[in-house]
Amino acid sequence: MSMKKMRQQFADTMLEVGRADPKLSVLIGDISHFILQPFARACPGRFYNVGICEPTIISMAAGMAKTGLHPVVHTIAPFILERSFEQIKLDFCYQGLSGNIITVGSAFDYSNLGCTHHCYDDFALMKSLPRTQVVYPASPVEFDLLFRETYRNDHLTLFRLPEYQHDQVIDPSLIKFGKAIRLREGSDLTIIAAGPQLKNAVLAKQQLEKQGKSIEIIYIPTIHPLDAEMIHQSVSKTKRVVIVEEHNVFGGVGDDVRKIVTDISGVKLINLGIKGFVREYGTYEQLCAEAELSVEGILKAAGYGE
Amino acid sequence: MNNEFRRKIVDMVCKGRDGHIPSSFSIIDVISILYRDFLKFNSKDPHWEGRDYFILSKGHGCLALYVVLREHGFLTDQDIANFCKKGGILGEHPDSTKVPGAEACTGSLGHGFPFAVGVALGLRIQNRENHVFVLVGDGECHEGTIWEAANVSNNMELGNLCLIVDWNGSAAQLMPKDDLPAKWRAFGWNVQVIDGHSEEEIKKALGNVHFSSRGTPNVIITKTVKGKGVPMLEGHGVWHHRIPNEEEYKTIMEALK
Repeated sequence: MSMKKMRQQFADTMLEVGRADPKLSVLIGDISHFILQPFARACPGRFYNVGICEPTIISMAAGMAKTGLHPVVHTIAPFILERSFEQIKLDFCYQGLSGNIITVGSAFDYSNLGCTHHCYDDFALMKSLPRTQVVYPASPVEFDLLFRETYRNDHLTLFRLPEYQHDQVIDPSLIKFGKAIRLREGSDLTIIAAGPQLKNAVLAKQQLEKQGKSIEIIYIPTIHPLDAEMIHQSVSKTKRVVIVEEHNVFGGVGDDVRKIVTDISGVKLINLGIKGFVREYGTYEQLCAEAELSVEGILKAAGYGE
Repeated sequence: MNNEFRRKIVDMVCKGRDGHIPSSFSIIDVISILYRDFLKFNSKDPHWEGRDYFILSKGHGCLALYVVLREHGFLTDQDIANFCKKGGILGEHPDSTKVPGAEACTGSLGHGFPFAVGVALGLRIQNRENHVFVLVGDGECHEGTIWEAANVSNNMELGNLCLIVDWNGSAAQLMPKDDLPAKWRAFGWNVQVIDGHSEEEIKKALGNVHFSSRGTPNVIITKTVKGKGVPMLEGHGVWHHRIPNEEEYKTIMEALK
């Protein structure tokens, strides 16, 4: 199946929303310049390639929000989130200003570029601040719908655009901000999948079913706030949960799930995520495998082979 | 000039038991004249759409801003009396979520200026003709974001922006090669250098600023004296963040008569 790239969907959504809303303005840090030209042409004066100065871009976007605009900041995850964290904290969140940060290059999408271009603590950083939202769409329709739903609400929203997508077709009516999606129902094990890892979750389920296990899959396009109700309901039933996420195990989805299920007795919880620095080169898939973010990793975590 | 404002600043520090007197004294003259003669505002409606914006990027000089905001009706005497008190709205850095007339939360240096650049750009995008003033310290000019924002402002031709630099010599204490006019000229700005304690020069410089929606941004570099007005406080010694004792208070007030 040939899928539209996430970044292309970002450009297409900016164009459509920007045409309808004169307050949408886009600042980029010298990436995606060419694919955003249709937006630049359709919305003159509302597109700026500000260059390589991420903290300033964040402060500027907050200043633009102060005047009533809906700013969108777009560049590579570690530079805009980690380097500019104080600007995010003070200029946006503390002051109660609203806007949108749309990243590429999260986790180890830029696998061969090494640690300077990896970013797997973005959920934790954003969640630590009041008035933030984190959206992790891993198919184009998810980004399109969730951006339109949230971009001008009263929060600072991070949209983490992955380079790779899951391959599932999701009913658009199920894609709602703050809502998880129960993609498969089951009774023995809950797999909570974030981003492209949904693909591995579905493959693992197929294998586990061959062993006679009944697997429930919960997919979470909204990372923060997490759909605690659906997760609690599912884990109450299965008492066994594997979380699979391309994020540091500290401060990621797994930590939130642990808090959500704390009052359910006898739960076995395994969090598949990134532990420590990723130092290897290789393909995205190879680095995923290294971190056990793979079908094999999920099967091992499920624990039925013991 | 502005001894009354200076006395109020000292009173606030003595009663609140905190605050930066010298940093406020170096900017009180330019801020007071800006509000009195140039800035458009409505203290009864601080968020009035037609207002000009003033952002104190050098947040630790906020006592100068507070006494001027009090003068123009943004704040009450009670607000002033509650400086640095629990339940009060005035702390050692301006907080836009609490202080009517404070446009940004500043204190961490290097934030207010790029924030102001965004305000200027946002206003231009919406075809609004408000002017944006922002004040940074010379020490603050050690922050990289100052020069990022300087570069961006010039390239975006933010002619609706006027920067004031408080050149009180703090930066040169550490980094003596500090030719600020040359630096700002190199970044392509319209540069004026004035005596920041001369009413005549401040008024002339602010009057000289040509605002336009698209044009060269303006910087007024004000040569100032940290602690200006009280010989004991002037310079870069122990007074940066010190509370006067009773005897010192009397000496200061005597000098400000």
